Amino acid sequence: MGVLAEFLKGLAVTGKTMIRTIFGDGLVTTQYPKEKRQKPQRFHGRHVLNRYPDGMEKCIGCELCAGVCPAKCIYVRGEDNDPDNPTSPGERYGYVYEINMLRCIFCGLCVEACPTEAITMTTLFEFSTTSRNDAIYTRETLLMDEKGNVPHMFPEDPLIEPKELLTADGWVRATAPAGMAAYEGVQMWQRTAGPADWSPEPSQDEIDATTGKSEDGDG
Amino acid sequence: MSHWSESTQERAREIIDLYPQKRSAVMPLLYLAMAEEGHLTETGMEEVARWCEITPAQVLSVASFYTMYKRERTGKYLISCCTSISCMLLGGDEVMHAVEDESGVPHGETDEEGLLSVEHAECIGACGGAPAVQVNYELIEGVTPDKARDLVTWLKKARPVVVNTDEMQELFGGRRSFDWAIPETDGAIGPFPAFQPLGTVESEGGE
Amino acid sequence: MTSGQPEFVTITIDGREHQVLSGEMLITAAEDSGTYIPRFCWHPRMTPVGMCRVCIVEVDTGRGPALIPACMNPVSDGMVVATQSDVTKKAQEAVLEFLLANHPLDCPVCDKGGECPLQDQALSHGPGESRFVEIKRNYEKPIPISDLVLLDRERCILCDRCTRFSREISGDPLIEFFDRGNKTQVNTFPDHPFASYFSGNTVQLCPVGALTAGPYRFRARPWDLLKVVSSSLFDTAHPRIEVHASQNEIVRYTGVDNDATNHGWLSDKARFGFEYIHSEDRLGAPLVRRKGVYEATDWAEAIDVAADRLGLIRDESGGDALAVIGGAHGTNEDAYALSKFARVALGTNNVDCRLGDSLSSHFLAGTVDRATIGQLDDADTILVWGPDLKEEHPTLYLRVRRAAQELGAELVVVHPRATGLDDVAFRKLTYRPGEGFDLVQALDDGRYPDVIEALDADNVVALIGIASHADGPHVAEAVAALVRARRGRSDLLPLNSRANTYGALDMGLAPDLLPGRVGVSQEGVGRLRDHWGEVPSVPGRDTAGILEGLISGEIRGLLLVGADPVRDFPIPALAEEALEAAEWVVAIDLFITDSTRHAEVILPAETFTEKEGTVTNVEGRVQKLNNIRPGPGQTRPDWAMLDDLAHRIGAPLGLSSAEAISKEISTVAPAYVGVSWDLLEWEARDGVVVPLEGESQLAHIPVAVATDGKRENGLSLHVARTMYDDGVRLRHSPSLSRLALGPVVLVNPLDATALDAVPGDSLRLVTVSGEGRFEMVVDEGTPAGTVYVPFNQPGATALGIDSAVEAEVADA
Repeated sequence: MGVLAEFLKGLAVTGKTMIRTIFGDGLVTTQYPKEKRQKPQRFHGRHVLNRYPDGMEKCIGCELCAGVCPAKCIYVRGEDNDPDNPTSPGERYGYVYEINMLRCIFCGLCVEACPTEAITMTTLFEFSTTSRNDAIYTRETLLMDEKGNVPHMFPEDPLIEPKELLTADGWVRATAPAGMAAYEGVQMWQRTAGPADWSPEPSQDEIDATTGKSEDGDG
Repeated sequence: MSHWSESTQERAREIIDLYPQKRSAVMPLLYLAMAEEGHLTETGMEEVARWCEITPAQVLSVASFYTMYKRERTGKYLISCCTSISCMLLGGDEVMHAVEDESGVPHGETDEEGLLSVEHAECIGACGGAPAVQVNYELIEGVTPDKARDLVTWLKKARPVVVNTDEMQELFGGRRSFDWAIPETDGAIGPFPAFQPLGTVESEGGE
Repeated sequence: MTSGQPEFVTITIDGREHQVLSGEMLITAAEDSGTYIPRFCWHPRMTPVGMCRVCIVEVDTGRGPALIPACMNPVSDGMVVATQSDVTKKAQEAVLEFLLANHPLDCPVCDKGGECPLQDQALSHGPGESRFVEIKRNYEKPIPISDLVLLDRERCILCDRCTRFSREISGDPLIEFFDRGNKTQVNTFPDHPFASYFSGNTVQLCPVGALTAGPYRFRARPWDLLKVVSSSLFDTAHPRIEVHASQNEIVRYTGVDNDATNHGWLSDKARFGFEYIHSEDRLGAPLVRRKGVYEATDWAEAIDVAADRLGLIRDESGGDALAVIGGAHGTNEDAYALSKFARVALGTNNVDCRLGDSLSSHFLAGTVDRATIGQLDDADTILVWGPDLKEEHPTLYLRVRRAAQELGAELVVVHPRATGLDDVAFRKLTYRPGEGFDLVQALDDGRYPDVIEALDADNVVALIGIASHADGPHVAEAVAALVRARRGRSDLLPLNSRANTYGALDMGLAPDLLPGRVGVSQEGVGRLRDHWGEVPSVPGRDTAGILEGLISGEIRGLLLVGADPVRDFPIPALAEEALEAAEWVVAIDLFITDSTRHAEVILPAETFTEKEGTVTNVEGRVQKLNNIRPGPGQTRPDWAMLDDLAHRIGAPLGLSSAEAISKEISTVAPAYVGVSWDLLEWEARDGVVVPLEGESQLAHIPVAVATDGKRENGLSLHVARTMYDDGVRLRHSPSLSRLALGPVVLVNPLDATALDAVPGDSLRLVTVSGEGRFEMVVDEGTPAGTVYVPFNQPGATALGIDSAVEAEVADA
């Protein structure tokens, strides 16, 4: 007797939940892949190698990302830029760039370390492969083309959203753009490849005006 | 295998003999090289290096330190306007601008004809008569911008064979620092008086 | 050096008292007492100049605290130093802020980034931020100032290290400060590149990334380098180096400061000679010739083919029909294995690691009063009678230069033409090649009293070698005898090219030597017999004899170990003919060379950085080499192949590992008793000079033997080696191979006029053993009557060892 009551009591919880999820608003399951949830803004997904708006590669092959990587999954080799036809500004560019996605722990330290914002992360996470070799992303797979399109290893895959690749660039910016007066009012960095779509850095006067600081105050 | 004329080589030998080490003769030999070709060329400096038994790099290191070693072709008249502190305070910069404007030659350059070179100089030791200007290292004191323009025009027109400090002071100068006692008829950069032992300078300028 | 006890003074650094050596600079004294004072321009091996000012500290010598540069001020008793005070910190921060004002912050693209003293000290002693917002200095980014070194003047902080090195240490000041003032820059004279044999040292010295090395440029970053300490085999003094590898690839060598040998300096050959290791031409598999074509095969087959025939020849004609040439480029362990293989497996004493251009084996291995390199520092007189040290023995060159220039030794240089040491020599004697003996006699007869007087000093070190191919080894022995006969104490340093000749000779790779500086017919053989069994006791043939034997057919089989007699033997035609005539040649080498292409079987060897072992340098110092990468493909160490070959021949050597061989050496070879890897790795990292105890059994005492004075009326031919030649390893190092001079002949202007030739003309030179065409270069360093042909240049034919030469302008 007691046993049956206990049984029904337990079943009631199941029934209530069932009814609530079918008719009510308590549905927690997303119908992935048909539906996709909004990902957090700073979700750490696959990497992208960026370019400057003029088409130059940002990567200078400095290997700081490889040096900082706790999983040791990045391999970079630098090469001399051809002075007449440079790949990146400066003397060197990243000639080899490989990330082993099987080892990557998506900590984002490479993005932090990068002095030129060459490597950033997208929110894309669907990149299962059928071979270990395919999991090693090379320069070709990581680097955006000159129009800002980022190649995907499986562009035909219905699961992936290539659009997301385009939101890759420039979301991490730890320091001020240049710290030089000459750049006041000049559009410097941009969210995506192509023409910049955000306002230039404000001048110090404007910042002071908005924050209410006066010049004679010393901080 | 020297590129220099026999008399220059003879002179170089004499100069080197004055020093216990050959390398010490580098500065007078640089003047010699400059006198030989009008300005210091790479071949001239290599030649000096051979004479002094040092490397051309060491010679260039010396030559590039002193502004009076000219490594580019200099005009017939070199106008040096002092812009150091005393002259600057009394309008040396204006004099400099007047010279540049009137001659059309900016600092450090020479006109196409090869007549005038203009440079601004560091202190030329005439603070008492500031602002001062030198033409071929011949001093004029108390120059005003207008006088400086006159000086340039005069040099262009008169083209004196030898510029003389007393003559120019008379024409373009103003307040002097002190009364110059000894007139120099041949000019200060006559044939290397500074590098001959004291008391051996011949009265009619060397050679 | 003044005699007596070192004096100590008491100074106070940051509140703690220290006893330091009187006369020491404050910066060194502080460092030795555990306080680091930042520095850029100061370097322990160069004179202090106080250029960078970052070492200023607050010092009170009794007159109140004042800021003084620690690198320029010797310690004095009672000095009170504050390295952490606010004043000191403020001063140092200000200096760093100034230094960084013009320094571009392109660290991510800079080769020095990660190991940069400016980076490190800006972090540890710098202000953290700069108030400088103006535009920095702008220069053209890296300009090549030599074939190996690039200069980025924007990064330069004008510390005077590179220019001081070239002025003080290497003696070729080709880089200097120009436009001194507010636009000071370091540069070379236009069209006079920094063509110094020691230019690479400036790259290591540079405290910023202003000077970078072409071969290392952008190859790796400091944090992904693996490092191991070893000794360079491109220099007979075996300078201590650190080998840096990234991803199993050697990317650079750096010098290790070391009192015994190199003081941290390296010649460019020793610094950049690593590219051959990764050459695509390296052999990775054993090759066996079938129907005239080499086919790659496996080890079992290659050993079978090679050993069967060697065994057959031994059984048919005896050990005397077999010979071994080479072994001077490997480790002592490999040389020992080769020596044992020749004596035990082949049963022959026809073994030679020298290639016909060397001093006698007894002189090289058994000099009783052998000098050490360190003795140069205390010498009163140094005699250099032999090769141009700058070309062939760069480490010795720097040490001799320092002794003569800084330490007050009187230097006497004898050579047929100008050498790199002439400018610091107290006396330079020049003679016509082939007439060296006449000069010895002239000295003996008192023709040069000042030289004799110098040689009569208390402490004489004589560096003796073969100056010109025309001089036989007898001249060197006569010189040695002359020096020994003088009044004071004299020590000799017999010179020989090829890196590990001394180790190879100590391992018995000479027809008349057995391991441990023992003659083949000497007492010590008994000791060896326990390990080796019966060995032939009659001296065999040297290289020249072996080559002749091959031509006459007396010798049928030859084993070539890392030797290229066709290019390296002074009479190449003879070597070529001999190898052509040889019935069976087996080669152990890295590459297919002009010599190894005569071999039926070529076994691929491991090279430097790929194997462990010991080497012995010019003064008898044993040092340890370490490995950092595996050899390519199926390469193996020499001893392993020799062990396999011996097994197959039927006379096993019983070698199991390089370390085991080293233990065997210390038991068998009298001079090497007590030398072990443990000792070299832990207690004596700078190596030990053998023999550790007792005297060498060989005890060679040079005696002057009269040679025929050759009096030629025409031109005399001087043939000598240069630093960059067409050696096998250099040929496969692209950065260095292009530095070779090529087929040139250097002629005095007077002779050029007499020959009616202008620079660039092609001269035809004819000697008894060869003829060839050479491009004429007019050179005042070559005396009239002598023409100088650098040996073994790419594209040049060799002219043999005769001093008589006919020269004429060749038709175009």
